[in-house]
Amino acid sequence: MKSTVFRTVPVVLYLSMILLPLLLAVDRLMLVTGSNPFESMYLIDEHPFGAEALRFTFIQAFLSAVLTLVIGIPIAWWLGRYQWRFIGIIRAALTLPFVTPSIVAAMGFLALIRKDGVLHSIGIDLRTETGFIGALSSSTGIENSGHIIALLVAHAWFNLALVVRFVEPKIATLPPRYEDAFRMLPAGESTLNRLTQFWWPMLKIPILSAFTFTFLFSFTSFALVRWLAPDMWTLEALMATVGGSAGIPNYRLDVSQFVLGASTLQAIVLIAALSLSGRLQQRNSREIELVSEGYSRTTIGRPGLLPRIGILFATVFALAPLASMALASVRIRNRTTESYRWSFEAWQSAFQGDLSYASVPEALTNSLVYALGCLLISCILGFFVAHSIHALEKQKRYKLAQMLDVMSMLPLAVSGVMVGIGVLLGVLKIWPALFSFYGLPMLPHAMLTTPFVIRILLPAMREIDSDYDAMGMVLGYNSTQRFFKIKIPLLKPQIVVASALSMAFSLGEFGASWVVLRSGAWDTLPILVDQLMSRPKYFELVTPTAMAAATVLMFTTFLLFVIAERFRAHRGGGF
Amino acid sequence: MSLIVQDLDVSFGANTVISNLNFEMKSGDIVAIIGPSGCGKTTLLRAISGLLKPTKGTIVLNGKNIEKQPCEQREVGMLFQRPVLFPFKDVLGNVLFAYKRKKDADMDQVNAILGELGLTGKENQAIETLSGGEAQRVVLARALLTHPRLMLLDEPLSALDVDLRRKIAHEIRSVLKARGIPAIHVTHDPEEAAIIGDQVLHWKDLQSSDDSLNEHSQSNTQIMGEPSSAPPNSITEQDTNDD
Repeated sequence: MKSTVFRTVPVVLYLSMILLPLLLAVDRLMLVTGSNPFESMYLIDEHPFGAEALRFTFIQAFLSAVLTLVIGIPIAWWLGRYQWRFIGIIRAALTLPFVTPSIVAAMGFLALIRKDGVLHSIGIDLRTETGFIGALSSSTGIENSGHIIALLVAHAWFNLALVVRFVEPKIATLPPRYEDAFRMLPAGESTLNRLTQFWWPMLKIPILSAFTFTFLFSFTSFALVRWLAPDMWTLEALMATVGGSAGIPNYRLDVSQFVLGASTLQAIVLIAALSLSGRLQQRNSREIELVSEGYSRTTIGRPGLLPRIGILFATVFALAPLASMALASVRIRNRTTESYRWSFEAWQSAFQGDLSYASVPEALTNSLVYALGCLLISCILGFFVAHSIHALEKQKRYKLAQMLDVMSMLPLAVSGVMVGIGVLLGVLKIWPALFSFYGLPMLPHAMLTTPFVIRILLPAMREIDSDYDAMGMVLGYNSTQRFFKIKIPLLKPQIVVASALSMAFSLGEFGASWVVLRSGAWDTLPILVDQLMSRPKYFELVTPTAMAAATVLMFTTFLLFVIAERFRAHRGGGF
Repeated sequence: MSLIVQDLDVSFGANTVISNLNFEMKSGDIVAIIGPSGCGKTTLLRAISGLLKPTKGTIVLNGKNIEKQPCEQREVGMLFQRPVLFPFKDVLGNVLFAYKRKKDADMDQVNAILGELGLTGKENQAIETLSGGEAQRVVLARALLTHPRLMLLDEPLSALDVDLRRKIAHEIRSVLKARGIPAIHVTHDPEEAAIIGDQVLHWKDLQSSDDSLNEHSQSNTQIMGEPSSAPPNSITEQDTNDD
């Protein structure tokens, strides 16, 4: 009885937390518009920008996924095939973009493509579209081609880690004798044949999984679209912009209609993409035997010139926007003389809050408080939901466990902006006074991060040998003692990783915060960066100040990961 | 100390693993039970330890019915097939798991047992660095420190090579006998059973109704032709080749 309550309470709490705001928001939008979500889906184009947003969302997500694969597959191939020195550092550098807050990524790319940026200096003008890019625009007739290219490249940069992480291990752990055997057959004589008849069947599942996830993340991308393609609309960007006017009776019904339709469509696309990816990964998990990557790499040997150049390019590509952003915070442009000077004035301005409601320390404090709150909610709740699912599995109640497992993933099928709108409208319905509660942003942050915590902890719980618990029982420990003295220490590495991820996502979360945050006093670092960049640029310190704030956010996130890694590697005696 | 198992049934759904099992053992005895893999030996030990609930039957330890008692209150020690050591603790940390609170630890006793089992100097070693034999000795040390009323040995030596298995079997028998701890040892290896057990039972005989231990047991001399009280190898000797 006690254990049933112990398992049920967190599950009910969690499901209420994720479902209630969304259901209430849908209910309110249905009430205001008088139509159901599926009807509203067909009315998206009634909003002035609806049709354009719908088209552009799909096109840019598809092209971003293709470009990510085009850049990522050769990198994954080279990285997985050969014996590299400092492979840990190279992998870390290539993973860095994926853990970078989206607003930081946007600032990094802005720093790269602006007038005094690296790309402009080598003749690639993506902003005002002169030269080669201008010629491309004129010849193809595509408007804003420079902005679209910048957005696609930024999405590829952001998602590069996905391709590398999905594909590279598969290449690195494939027994070399498979390829050797294929080479000796007539079909394996030509490189093209080996690629199409051996490597593609071997790698298609991780490649398609990477494609699906890149599509999904590009589909719901907001900060990058907002800053790199400001004249273009995606469903997510449009929902975020107009979402504040949604759900109000007899006011801007087109907006409520659009938000209801667009969020339904997004949810359908995201659920379809997640299901597809789940199926692909399931198939991937029962394929062929693997060997240790050290063995495989030694067999192939050291890389040649082309792979070296490729990996160098990839590392520079991964680090350039971030380095460029950090540099842009100390390089100040004099608009009258068109000259530059190196100075920390922008940092001073950022820390004093000269150009914004909140200073960097205030915004950082808010961000850290929200991140800690989010960490507590998502880790505690995520742990117990995972624990409940695992307990059901152990009791062989597989159907119930599976149902709960799928429901726990629901927020993954909802974008940041959708969650923000859900909380906004849901709270409005239940408890409007909550709008003045400082801790409110923790709710959407926890909604978005808890599924990740569950996804990290549940497999780890499944892997714990039941003999540990049995031994604890035999040694005379009761269930509470076993929980704290055995289970928690055994899960410590995964708990640390989940905590770090949860905090990092919360620190960099932009979409939901942008919708929910109503008071300047609560601004988080990503919102502060956005506010600074939204200011008119006549004052020379505006952009460098935003870059300084983004750099602080970047370093805070990375510091978190470094700390997490240190704890994770700890193997000494004692918890 | 006595243990009586009567009419014990254990089923998992429609699958009956143990049916109508009866046996009893007397104070200080070490009983070895031989049976083929999958016959239900481990299930029997798990039922006695409380790790699983029997479907039917009674288990009486020292005159008290324990089948409804939770595992953690039964005061039995157990060694599993694979040494179960907590990876987040070093050797000493694992041994101190015998005490619920660190401050209750009797360090003299801990050091004495570590010395007796040849683990002195390894206290701060990470458990990943232990050999299979050393790991099982750490588990044994921990179990002994809980002062169990009954020790259950679930093929703890099955993963070791023949020589080391023989050596540690003698060690186990020696430390249990020295403390007068009764034990049930299940195995499929007749030689191991003969070394550890005072008496050796065959699994197939335990499941016949109304049979008692005395009717079906053989002395280990009968099975192996060598008394189990043969002097064991020095247990402080290191098993350096046991990997």
